[in-house]
Amino acid sequence: MAATIKIQNLNQYYGKKQALNSIDLIIETGMFGLLGRNGAGKTTLMKVLATLLPKSEGEIAVCGKNIEHAQSVRKIVGYLPQDFSMYPNMTVYEAMDYLGVLSGLSARQRRQRIPRLLQKVNLQDAQRKKVKALSGGMKRRLGIAQAILHNPKVLIVDEPTAGLDPEERVRFRNLLCEIAEERIVILSTHIVGDIEATCENIAVLDKGSIIYQGTVSDLIGLADGKVYSAEISKRELELLKKKYIVTSMLTLGNNVMVRFLADTQPFASARLCEPGAEDAYMYLMHTVGGEV
Amino acid sequence: MFGQLWIKECKQTAKSLTYWLIILVLILDFATQLGGMEIMQKPKEGQEDYGWHTSNDKDIIMESTLGILAEEYNRESYTTYPIGFYKQVTLDESEDQKIAEILKEATGLDGRAEIDQKIEEWYGSQQDDSGQMTAPLALQPSKGLSYERFEELMDQADSILGGGSSYGAAYRKSNAQIPMTYEEALEEYHALLEKDKITGGYARLFSDYMVIFLGILPVFLSVARGLRDRRAGMQELIYTRKCPSIVIVASRYFAMLVMLILPVLMISLVPLSQCMAYGKAAALSVDMLAFVKYTFGWLVPTIMAVLAVGMFLTELTDTALAVLLQGAWWFVGLFSGSQDILHGGLYGWNLMPRHNTELNWAGYHSGFSQLAANRILYALSAIALVALTAFVYTMKRKGRLQIRGKILANRKSKSKA
Repeated sequence: MAATIKIQNLNQYYGKKQALNSIDLIIETGMFGLLGRNGAGKTTLMKVLATLLPKSEGEIAVCGKNIEHAQSVRKIVGYLPQDFSMYPNMTVYEAMDYLGVLSGLSARQRRQRIPRLLQKVNLQDAQRKKVKALSGGMKRRLGIAQAILHNPKVLIVDEPTAGLDPEERVRFRNLLCEIAEERIVILSTHIVGDIEATCENIAVLDKGSIIYQGTVSDLIGLADGKVYSAEISKRELELLKKKYIVTSMLTLGNNVMVRFLADTQPFASARLCEPGAEDAYMYLMHTVGGEV
Repeated sequence: MFGQLWIKECKQTAKSLTYWLIILVLILDFATQLGGMEIMQKPKEGQEDYGWHTSNDKDIIMESTLGILAEEYNRESYTTYPIGFYKQVTLDESEDQKIAEILKEATGLDGRAEIDQKIEEWYGSQQDDSGQMTAPLALQPSKGLSYERFEELMDQADSILGGGSSYGAAYRKSNAQIPMTYEEALEEYHALLEKDKITGGYARLFSDYMVIFLGILPVFLSVARGLRDRRAGMQELIYTRKCPSIVIVASRYFAMLVMLILPVLMISLVPLSQCMAYGKAAALSVDMLAFVKYTFGWLVPTIMAVLAVGMFLTELTDTALAVLLQGAWWFVGLFSGSQDILHGGLYGWNLMPRHNTELNWAGYHSGFSQLAANRILYALSAIALVALTAFVYTMKRKGRLQIRGKILANRKSKSKA
């Protein structure tokens, strides 16, 4: 069975409001990033793939299984929701064991897999700790462990790094990359840095529609020759902001070092820069406006 | 999968504070109501009184019922229990006239003056040395009044009073309370020893006290369990697992059920040991399994129904609405009907069948088929409700049902308005 997710002409409605608009996607083994603003429809798409929402229109096949056969899809999908939590009074091991039973694992399988997975996510020393005593980062790692407990072919993680400190975030990204070696991992986030560091293939959602689908390097290529930097006075900053999309700025005494998007060199002191993923994303969201 | 999940759910229940509070209430209930239980002693001839019992004699039923009607008519005030709650009824002139006509046809007494005179005569002749009344008013029916016509007249009176009165078909029979004779008391005692093997009677009494609290407490457990997933943010994690909804719901339900049966059985060991000691001392055989039989036959259907209501409404609404509704049901059930149902035999369709005496084996025996129908109905309804809960759970898993959001949205829009 092919480890591929095929989404064809997916439309999703909440009453009269359209949350997803004609989504066509093919996702293959490895890390796949889903990028977009808050409210772009990422979580809706994730929930549809995790069988938590019924699709309104279109076709979805997860590793050859029709999404409408929820029971069979659930066997091969692992899910880490945006607001991940577990019974606070259970220990880490108990929580994993409980979810293992719900995943249909035998007692023997659970005894073998749980310690191995907890080791993989570096929680082997926290097995007897109560869930409520875990830090945010530890909870997220536990979230990953529970999501791959039944060895799914697809792992869906929704905004997993929100609220993590930089060190935990890097550790978490690396963990996802390791896991993605043998399965599809769909990472949904609005943090461009997470996608840039982990995914080769991405899709950008805006107002329910896919406005970009391809590799991260191609996305960066879209902003080639459009990113400038300049040191300007704080007074000039407001004017610049009105005319251009500012992607970053750094205060240097009375001056500000800005990085912004422009089609041509706007003034003599502006220097053309190599674009990054964040510049390209901003360019895409504000300039291309959905036309790729 | 079911067995493993069931064990895990039992453990979760055992760790729940709500569960231990329920056990505490049950223990307190037992200790206060049956803690000082004494096994009935053999009646002795010449005892001051042997208690009361209900008579099936049609003449006595007619006399007692007409006596109550006459007294209430003279007071111009009637006590009814229309939907189980106490209500004082006062009639208007035309309704009052209709009751007067019913009494005239049934007793031959015309108007309040004649009835007043009859009441005075009765109580004048029924006083003991200390001036206490020894028997409630009983009026002779008119000559030639058939029992069928009496029933028609009483139905009319009940209808005028809005139902739930002492004259309705459900309560007429229980108006006929007569003092027990020594022989009757002895018969009751022998029934307790021989037919009930001692434990049967006390198991009914035990069930009577326990069923009151088991008619409400389990709802707290099932509501707490139902809300725990949402509060802990576990819903989506569980929904996306491959385990079928019926297995999840049934394992939770049966775990709570078994965990509630266990303390009831444990508590029942106390009266059982008392009965055993009595039986041993008197060289009488005791039904060792009576408390188990009554727990499963009498109490379990109530626990099943209350748990199922809690589970279903909590799953449907993701709120604690079930506590409110079950509380209302419990209240109605507890105060439904007159005091007569307490004596046993009149089990009806009450969620909490009452039998507040270790005696009245005959009443239990005559009401057994009604009791059995009652218990089977609640047990089957509970199973149906659990199946319905599994259906609701499946719909929620698929994102096809989300009532809580609608309730909250409705509440917000109302508060804005």
